[in-house]
Amino acid sequence: MNALGIDIGSLTTKAVILDDGHILSSSIVPSGDEAELGAKAAMEEALNQAGFSSDNDLYVVSTGVGGKSVPFSQQQKAITTCLARGIHYLFPSVRMVIDMGAETSTVIKINERGRVSDWAGQDKCAAGTGIFLQQMSKLMEMPLAEMSNLSFQAKSRADISGTCAVFAESEVISHVHRVPPTPKEEIAAGIYFSVVTRIMSLCKRLGIEKDVAVVGGVALNSGLVNIVEEGLGFEVMVPDMPQIVAALGAAIVARENIEKGIK
Amino acid sequence: MSQKSNVQLHMLDRFREVNNTFPNTAQILELKRQGKKVFGWLCTYVPEEIIHAAGALPVRITGYSQEMELEDGNAYLYINNCSFSRSCLQMGLRGEYDYLDGVVGGSTCDGARRLFDLWHYYIKAPFHHVLTVPRKYTQRAHDLYYSQVMEFKQRLEEFLGLQITDEALCQSIRVYNESRALLKSLYDLRKLSNPLITGAETMEVLNASFRMPKELFNEYLRKLLNELSTSGNTHKSRARLMLVGSVMNNPEFVESIEELGGLVVTDELCSSTRYWSDPVVLDGCKDPLQAISRRYLNNFPCARMFPSDERFNRILELARDFRVDGVISQIIRYCVPYAHDLPLLTDRLKAQGIPTLALDVEYGTSGSGQIRTRVQAFLEMLEAKRK
Amino acid sequence: MIISSEQKKNNINSLIRTCRLLARMSRVNPEARKSETMYYQMLADYYTRVLNAQEEGGFVAAHTVFFPTEILYAMDIVPMHTETTTWLTALFLRQQAELLSAGAELGLVSEICSPHRGVAGAFSIGALPRPDVMLWSNLVCDNTAKSGELLMEINHCPGFFLDHPFQGSEGEVKYFIGELEDMIHFLEEKSGRRMDWDKLAEIVAQMDRQIELFREICELRKAVPSPFPPMSFLELLSVDYLYPGQPEAIDYLELLHQELADMVREGKGAVSPERFRLMTLFIPPMHLMGFLGKISQEYGAVSVVEPLFTRWSEGRLDPAKPLESVAKKAFLIPERRSMYGPLDEHALKDIVDSAEQYKVDGAVYWAFMGCRHTCATVKLFKDILSEIDVPVLTLDCDIVDPTINSEEEIREKLEQFFELLEDR
Repeated sequence: MNALGIDIGSLTTKAVILDDGHILSSSIVPSGDEAELGAKAAMEEALNQAGFSSDNDLYVVSTGVGGKSVPFSQQQKAITTCLARGIHYLFPSVRMVIDMGAETSTVIKINERGRVSDWAGQDKCAAGTGIFLQQMSKLMEMPLAEMSNLSFQAKSRADISGTCAVFAESEVISHVHRVPPTPKEEIAAGIYFSVVTRIMSLCKRLGIEKDVAVVGGVALNSGLVNIVEEGLGFEVMVPDMPQIVAALGAAIVARENIEKGIK
Repeated sequence: MSQKSNVQLHMLDRFREVNNTFPNTAQILELKRQGKKVFGWLCTYVPEEIIHAAGALPVRITGYSQEMELEDGNAYLYINNCSFSRSCLQMGLRGEYDYLDGVVGGSTCDGARRLFDLWHYYIKAPFHHVLTVPRKYTQRAHDLYYSQVMEFKQRLEEFLGLQITDEALCQSIRVYNESRALLKSLYDLRKLSNPLITGAETMEVLNASFRMPKELFNEYLRKLLNELSTSGNTHKSRARLMLVGSVMNNPEFVESIEELGGLVVTDELCSSTRYWSDPVVLDGCKDPLQAISRRYLNNFPCARMFPSDERFNRILELARDFRVDGVISQIIRYCVPYAHDLPLLTDRLKAQGIPTLALDVEYGTSGSGQIRTRVQAFLEMLEAKRK
Repeated sequence: MIISSEQKKNNINSLIRTCRLLARMSRVNPEARKSETMYYQMLADYYTRVLNAQEEGGFVAAHTVFFPTEILYAMDIVPMHTETTTWLTALFLRQQAELLSAGAELGLVSEICSPHRGVAGAFSIGALPRPDVMLWSNLVCDNTAKSGELLMEINHCPGFFLDHPFQGSEGEVKYFIGELEDMIHFLEEKSGRRMDWDKLAEIVAQMDRQIELFREICELRKAVPSPFPPMSFLELLSVDYLYPGQPEAIDYLELLHQELADMVREGKGAVSPERFRLMTLFIPPMHLMGFLGKISQEYGAVSVVEPLFTRWSEGRLDPAKPLESVAKKAFLIPERRSMYGPLDEHALKDIVDSAEQYKVDGAVYWAFMGCRHTCATVKLFKDILSEIDVPVLTLDCDIVDPTINSEEEIREKLEQFFELLEDR
């Protein structure tokens, strides 16, 4: 029996198949409008990659925003549990995980056994998330990757509100249209700083403890990660595929259940 | 439009230097080097003269001079405590007040008392004291506050290993009363039809007053008063304004109002009239502690005191004395006592024909964007009224 | 806006009707506690008294939270607890939005705690009957301390502000006793009624017994499994707030004590199986109480201790010194220890002790955004509890505005927390 973890996010659905200690395959597909369809697609893709047929014997654990909408999963787990398991598998020295997803950002403290000991989320406000950054990149009229690279060149930062996405947006607009316009690298750095400031508050609330990992789609943004490191004062660990960490964690839970004989 | 000061006010620059380098002001650090003790205090109900009479330097705990992202403040005090308390706490947590030998506060408002609780647990100054401040003016309240002042004096004596004599107290009272008298003279220059000093400049002076040894401050202020009387810097304005509300230390906010042509001719703030207004009334050197305690409890009231009419009446008096056209109320978000007073205060002012502009601010705000727009509209309204 | 006295009476009438209905339903439900039935009847009686007071020439004193209403009972003055009344009515009549917007219209900004905005709003639109006097104090926060003057203006009635000193030194206790004396004089003058000192002594004796019963009930909650019904601690508190030193309160507490003792003897818990023993910090939103009761049953989670509200300080009351005892009680109440006064070692130790004595698995902190001084302790309490390895879930909420937190949101977060507790 193989272990499959599925993380249904608001933008993308990820799946990971785990063997006895190896990641056999992984997939990332758009979530679409129906969680179940997205989950199926992610599962098919992962099975394909692993070279398995679709009637393979699988134990499925689901998580994420759509975690409860997957009828073919045997168990549903909270995203925090899965992120903790996932990162502990990849980097056992990590004690704090910053998950920057499309709609929410969460900071999780984990103990030496990879169990969640505390977490804090930022769900009442949109600033500081993937969707916010996408909107900003549109205002800046450049792709996210370009904005990220550009931010490294900034010698100083534009002052962008960290308190509210709506204010931040209007401030970016005024920086872009100012005469003369604020240099784009400074705006980029300012946007990232405003995002990171809110994350830092959450981190401090929980108590910063090394090692710290950054996961989620937004972790691919090296410019932002750079500013996280500035805020923390030390380097962070970013997995090669930061988007699949929760799905990996779900697969690990599935693996544990198989071993315990849990149906 | 207000004229910019065209004669350089050298003493004002000296005050600015004190403020720009705070908390690491040269005078404070020099005193520490000499082995003197420095005590941070918060709230106008802490009797500074006691600290001064003990041969120590009282320094007021304030937050950052600008509006800041307060990650540590938010983490420890939570986002719904006023940004003033969060700002102060963050400075403390980041070690900016590490040179303090002690902190002293009053049980004045929720933000302040929780600031002190967390300071006690996480920052741990060598000496930590909170005075109970009653909310009333009854004889009983005076007796209680007097006993609190007495207790504070005794604890301080114990900590420092010395006696604070009546003579020392009287001497300190003289120094502080001189300060108050000099500040009153400064404010008198703002009563004029064309005041000799702006509100923003005054704020620099006020900020410095609690960041340096009082004797030196008095000297600087005397010189400044001389400079002002000979400078010929007069300021016309579209409207004479009074600034009221929460604690405020950033002169940029006042500047942004004055740049639009309004002149802040007086103010009612923790850092201004609520700080220096009343002198200690002393008869020779008879019972200085009693005199000090009487002064501090009766002083220009903070919004926490009851009945609120005491504060309102004094505000109305100020408004009359300074011939104020309009009031700008700036209240920090989550500054509860002042927020509660606002509806009643606005009514009382309205009854005297004085309109109020109510602004929601964060501590350290420089007054840009939306605030400027609203002030502009307010000034236009006041101008129209004048006609 | 002219509110007819009919309309004002209607709100209280509706409240009374609802309480009577709840009492009836409870009485015919074989599974319901007899103490619960008694509680609803007590609520109905309390408000009936308020309603009838004005007709029968009674004198009504509206008062704020944690108020020494023993004084009122001893003077035959009818107490009306403003917060409880406002929010019970709002809950039953779904009037929250109306009250909050009425509060906003008075010029009270949204950062002012919603219960206070609502009380002011309620008086201004006549949803609460006009009292003969307004009494308020500074327990436990600035909002309470500053609320009274506006309420006096709205109601055109006289008022008295009771000033609680910050700490409990000798001079401060003396000051507070003096404040109580002043308040008694004020009430005698306004009501024409005199303080009956014998009656006060009797009330103090009862109050002493009441506190002892309260303590014993809380001891019983330490049992594993814990017998106390989920989310019923508000019932326990309300009895104290509304009927201090009154025979009704004693009857209720004795009955509850019996019920709990029986359950402990039989090894029965409030939830079965009992999977999570929780500490509740501050209070959950009113409109979620029923829902949280359901969650408790569903997940086997029970709140075993609420240190901010259910842990009295050590000390007894002496009926031979009635006024001093009333003053002393104000210093003993649970709310004072962690929510007022300097937060000292004592208060912090109590939180940790509670967690240990009650064998708490985790704590839930209801971070009410309008309550600045309790939110200021979120990190501090989390830090001290983490030293004994008790995780804390923090939920940003509003306790009276039902638009802020949805049941789904709360369910999701609690589930996540229960998963954390199980996974450890």
